Amino acid sequence: MIVLEYQELELLIVRVREISGFDFSGYARPSLLRRAARYLTKHAMSLSELIVHLEQGGKVVYDFIQELTVNYSEMFRDPDFFISLRSEVISYLESFPAIRIWVAGCASGEEAFSMAILLKETGLYNRSLIYATDLSERVLSSAREGIFSLGHMRTFSENYLLAEGKYSLSDYYHVAYGQAVMVPDLRKNLVFSLHDLTGDGVFNEFQMVSCRNVMIYFNLEQRQKVFRLLYESLAMFGFLCLGKRETLRYSGYEEHFRVIDTRLNIYQKIK
Amino acid sequence: MGGSSGSFALFEEIIKLVTKPLPCALIFVLHRGKSSLSELPVLFNSKTKVRMEEPQHLDLLDTNCIYFAVPDYHLLIGPDQRFYLDAAEKDFFSRPSIDATFISAAQSGIPIKAAMLFSGASEDGAKGIRQIAEAGFRTYVQNPDFAEAQKMPLAAIDAYDKHQILNEENLFEEIRSILYSHST
Repeated sequence: MIVLEYQELELLIVRVREISGFDFSGYARPSLLRRAARYLTKHAMSLSELIVHLEQGGKVVYDFIQELTVNYSEMFRDPDFFISLRSEVISYLESFPAIRIWVAGCASGEEAFSMAILLKETGLYNRSLIYATDLSERVLSSAREGIFSLGHMRTFSENYLLAEGKYSLSDYYHVAYGQAVMVPDLRKNLVFSLHDLTGDGVFNEFQMVSCRNVMIYFNLEQRQKVFRLLYESLAMFGFLCLGKRETLRYSGYEEHFRVIDTRLNIYQKIK
Repeated sequence: MGGSSGSFALFEEIIKLVTKPLPCALIFVLHRGKSSLSELPVLFNSKTKVRMEEPQHLDLLDTNCIYFAVPDYHLLIGPDQRFYLDAAEKDFFSRPSIDATFISAAQSGIPIKAAMLFSGASEDGAKGIRQIAEAGFRTYVQNPDFAEAQKMPLAAIDAYDKHQILNEENLFEEIRSILYSHST
């Protein structure tokens, strides 16, 4: 196993920024250290070899950045979150003629598709638009295809049932060449686009922002900046959804939200 | 302290040893299912008067507090004495992973009074506790002969044979004296 020290990590962050323009400086160091060490171990590479590879450019740069930033997700992750959305949030959303939802840090689209299904089953999908963003073009192109492995789909189906889905998850995909392909109808109000939470700004106003398990990527200062961006992207009385273990603590915006669900970290912007 | 199957009851007994303020932070990493909802601080509430927490991302690490890693996230410790949650891939099919916490603690530069590894049916923790030992801190492994699941302590001893062994007869006295010792 390759051990990487914090000083080496700082050096690596500087080199990656010089080479690719991608800036990890706002990312939580302990997680980066762990992921970078795992990357080196997996590829049987020393730090200096990695830097040489990065300097040569090409695929390895994107590979490395992707490995350090990828957000593992599931459809209907934390099923009780979707139950809470249905009971606490949907009735508010119904009052809007047009509903805009932002899934920030969407990875391969699991959360965005889950949101689309929830809106469909509550009769709101036709007047909703879901913007799902990520900083990696590679995961976005996979999300746009809407293809998932059948193995994963089994877990997702269990989640869907626990989330009190009305039908069967298999009603929303068909199987082709041993993979699950999401039905086109589900994709029609779903836009996947590139957005980096640490560099890009507000691009629309939303009634709901789902940013689950993304804040834990950032250090204290960066996290506050991202909270500001999410706050400014929300319409008044819009909803902010964080991960099961993420709260507004240390965000600087505690006063601007009221708690809708303490356990599942759903908040509403009130000022 | 890390453990998996067979460790829950031991952890409960260890918490009962905490009868007065702790001169250190005590951190438990126990493998649990991601849907496990029971909060250990609530479950163990009657066992000790010392504060118990499930740390959130960026919480500062305090002495005189008992911490429990939450299910479905790795619990890392940073050089800034804060906890960091990480939802990256599992180690040994486990999140939280004991290795993840131990390795981050070893690298944090924060003095570690001791690291201990108990019963479990996976090899998680062996790498981490070795790294803590090699950083010069005291490390203890439950004697596999009386561990409910031997694999975890065995793997740790296989990976590094200089850990001290915690035997059945004096396990709890020894742990108590380590917790309240004033050296690191």
